[in-house]
Amino acid sequence: MWGVVKSVLAAFFGVQKERQRQHDFSEGKPVAFIMTGIVLAVALVIAILLVATLASR
Amino acid sequence: MRKTYVLAALITGLAGLERNALANGWNMPVGVTEVSRHVHGLHMTIFWICVVIGAVVFSVMFYSLFRYRRSKGAQAANFHEHTTVEIFWTAIPLLILVAMAIPATATLRHMYDASEADLEVMVTGHQWRWHYDYVGEDVGYFSNLTTPREQIDGTQAKDANYLLEVDQPLVLPVDRKVRLLMTSSDVIHSWWVPDLAVKKDAIPGFVNEAWTRIDEPGIYRGQCAELCGKDHGFMPVVVHAMAQDEFDAWLAERKQEAAAAASGVDRNWTLPELMERGEQVYGSICASCHQPEGQGLPPTFPALVGNQALLEDLEGHIDTVVNGVAGTPMPAFSGTLNAVDIAAVITFERNAWGNDTGDIIQPSTIQAQLSP
Ligand code: HEC
Ligand SMILES: [Cu+2]
Repeated sequence: MWGVVKSVLAAFFGVQKERQRQHDFSEGKPVAFIMTGIVLAVALVIAILLVATLASR
Repeated sequence: MRKTYVLAALITGLAGLERNALANGWNMPVGVTEVSRHVHGLHMTIFWICVVIGAVVFSVMFYSLFRYRRSKGAQAANFHEHTTVEIFWTAIPLLILVAMAIPATATLRHMYDASEADLEVMVTGHQWRWHYDYVGEDVGYFSNLTTPREQIDGTQAKDANYLLEVDQPLVLPVDRKVRLLMTSSDVIHSWWVPDLAVKKDAIPGFVNEAWTRIDEPGIYRGQCAELCGKDHGFMPVVVHAMAQDEFDAWLAERKQEAAAAASGVDRNWTLPELMERGEQVYGSICASCHQPEGQGLPPTFPALVGNQALLEDLEGHIDTVVNGVAGTPMPAFSGTLNAVDIAAVITFERNAWGNDTGDIIQPSTIQAQLSP
């Protein structure tokens, strides 16, 4: 689970180790990555909104 | 040591160049409002960040090109990925962008806060002139280009404010927060005055807000910044900023003029009076579309001279000018011209250029249609 989260975060940032990429593409299910991706994207939006409202107070 | 000197000389040189560019009008103006100074500051900060990035990137590139050239037997490194380097070149631009976004957002928030204004002016874009209306003051007028046709056609020398001069500028008091409510009666225009750092779209059916607080009395010029048709380049913005007491005197005078115009509605006007007034109105408002001699630009702008259908239909003529023709560029003038101007321009059109109908349209007739 933690490995999936790390890979998704690496994708957000845009940099990933080749070894990890090979590993992700050969093992595990795509659904896990897609779901984690959606959840983390929503979390990112909420975090940005939070920072923006705090900064603009 | 020597390198430091070279660097210092380079920086002083560049700073001198920047001042020079400003003086020559190559750079964005610093302007005369707090906001415009902020905007200029941001512009320069971001410009210098770009200069530094460009200098670093190109120095490394040219140094590498020179140092590791093939004639010196350089061998290309051959590796596929380098996670640390990749993280660096992703994180550094990210940090630079965030660093630029913080002051930029603060300035934007300041620009968008049009609350607590001392004065409100409705700015309406028309093809092709601006209309200013002092909210709650009963003062409103068109601001028309005054550059002579000869200068535009090139048969006369162009003066310094070529295409940036109007008959009646927008008059504003200094040191007061003025809220500008922007809209349009036809297509999208954009009200832009660089010295105030205000550029706002005027969109039909929407009211956009902007504001300004001018520090120094003076005349500030700008243009319509949204391509809006044939005379887009012929609808400049001129702002005349003056001290509050001068402004008050000006406003009082304009109110008196409006009152005088209102009293003119009730009396009977003679044909020569109406013709004289009508010619002025026609020249500043209608001629850009219907042309100075009333010949129009068919098929878009109909001719008024020798237009039989029109000359036989007085009611229709009045209705067209008062209410406009929906779905065409012909605007309704009920909200922007007073009854005297409308009566005069219709009388003028029905008697000028050999249209000799002899019709006299009294302002009182028009007034009855304006306020049913
Ligand atoms: C932005 C361009 C524009 C301006 C400014 C303008 N008009 Fe028009 N006008 C038109 C167009 C376009 C039509 C044709 C409308 C239609 O298709 O029925 C028209 C039609 C007319 C007609 C009817 C002509 C006919 O054959 O039925 C009259 C009268 C008229 N305009 C008078 C005026 C007067 C008076 C003014 C100034 C106060 C004026 N117009 C300003 C564009 C303009
Ligand atoms: Cu315009």
